[in-house]
Amino acid sequence: MPERVGYIHTTLNGVAVLTLSGKRTASSRDLLEHLHRQIATLARTEEVKGILLTGSGDGFCHCSPESALSPQTASKLSGFGQKTMFDLEKIGKPTIAVIEGECAGLGLEVALACDFIVASASARFGFPGIATGRIPFCGGSQRLVRLVGKSKTKELIYSGDLIDAEEAYRIALINRLYPVGEALTNAEKLLEHICTRSANAIRIGGEVVNAGYDIDLQTACMLERDAFALCFSSFDQREGMQAFLDKRAPEFKGE
Amino acid sequence: MPYKKLRIEITNRVGYILLDAGSRFNKLSITTIRELKRAFAQLEGDESAYAVVLSGYPGESFAAGADIGQMVNFSPGDAFHFAEFGQSLFDQIESCSKPVICALNGITMGGGCDLAMSCDIRIATEGLRIGHSGAKLGIITGFCGTHKLPHIVGKNFAREIFMTSEPYSSADALRMGLVDRVYADDVFWPEVVQLAERIASHPLNALSAAKRLINAAEDTDLRSGCLLERETATHINSLHISLH
Repeated sequence: MPERVGYIHTTLNGVAVLTLSGKRTASSRDLLEHLHRQIATLARTEEVKGILLTGSGDGFCHCSPESALSPQTASKLSGFGQKTMFDLEKIGKPTIAVIEGECAGLGLEVALACDFIVASASARFGFPGIATGRIPFCGGSQRLVRLVGKSKTKELIYSGDLIDAEEAYRIALINRLYPVGEALTNAEKLLEHICTRSANAIRIGGEVVNAGYDIDLQTACMLERDAFALCFSSFDQREGMQAFLDKRAPEFKGE
Repeated sequence: MPYKKLRIEITNRVGYILLDAGSRFNKLSITTIRELKRAFAQLEGDESAYAVVLSGYPGESFAAGADIGQMVNFSPGDAFHFAEFGQSLFDQIESCSKPVICALNGITMGGGCDLAMSCDIRIATEGLRIGHSGAKLGIITGFCGTHKLPHIVGKNFAREIFMTSEPYSSADALRMGLVDRVYADDVFWPEVVQLAERIASHPLNALSAAKRLINAAEDTDLRSGCLLERETATHINSLHISLH
């Protein structure tokens, strides 16, 4: 595995694997800058239909914490980190975080900004920064609450302890749990399967889920109704439904 | 007017709406939605029903989604009206003053899943197959699922379900919180009846008040929700005491 912070490898079926290994000495700013650039590249590369974000060997997004920052610098770094996570969340293609080993601090922030997380039994998750007086700064505190609830989030952030894969599976932080060393192969199969679906429907669906989550039911349903109607001007809708009626596999164009 | 797609029975204070389209799978066609709206209005007004059970029992499916033959040639305008029509049914179920138990007897896909999520409690057989096949059909759901599913199972499971568009098992559904209880096929219906009859034996005004408060909790901040609870509880609980 290359010693670069990020490394993109694309399979024949349109799945890009973004390896965020990093050296433990890389700073979180370096890692975020790399990630920011790679998200832009992945978003505009047409051959890329879906993205796996993974680490190499023993962990995901390792980096060393910044040494003491001025409040101004810390605020800027947090703003940039949050923007990068929003970019990842809104990339318009399915994203899965694939975790073997440690996924902590910035690593967990990145994983939480993906559509969902899968992991092997060797995975561990947490925000250990509290021991040195740090809290999540890329939206992690907000995304974790929405995923596992308030008390579990407080327990994780207050204690700084890492939880193992079993517990992460139990509290639904991760969607799927695989044997050690098998997470990436399985995630690749899962994402290739997802990529046979309508990219258009997946993109619109993801956007409506994100946009509707924090608003009331009635307003969210109006938004959904309009997005649903929009699907009926797409090639994919005609093709998908015709294929269903013809009992054949659809050939989507993603438009 | 008789129903074509469902039957209604009332036994021991429980009103049963049993989907029965007369074909292998129940579909949420325009006719079925219209009849469901009528059936819920009927049981809402029937004083002998204190709780409602919605099911496809003893058939093979609960509801296997919308009628694709009907939808394939929809214009965006048709789709808009179809979504509005379906959403009005789900709103009617949520605002129904009686508890609504959904007994998922089998295949529950797409709109069927959304229909189940508008009910108060979901009980399933072991043979449940539940999911959302929109992405396989080139669409998203228009029946409130994009809001309700993430709030019931969490955003990440919801996105996985929408993206794979695969059916999930009863064990998966239970783990994700999409169903509240799972029973083996042979005890499923007796358990449904037992729970429904127990719920129906409680005072209806307290059940209705609890349903309204819990539904309101989702869209309300904690302080306003607590104010609402205090007012409602004062009214309901004092009424209850004076009865004894």
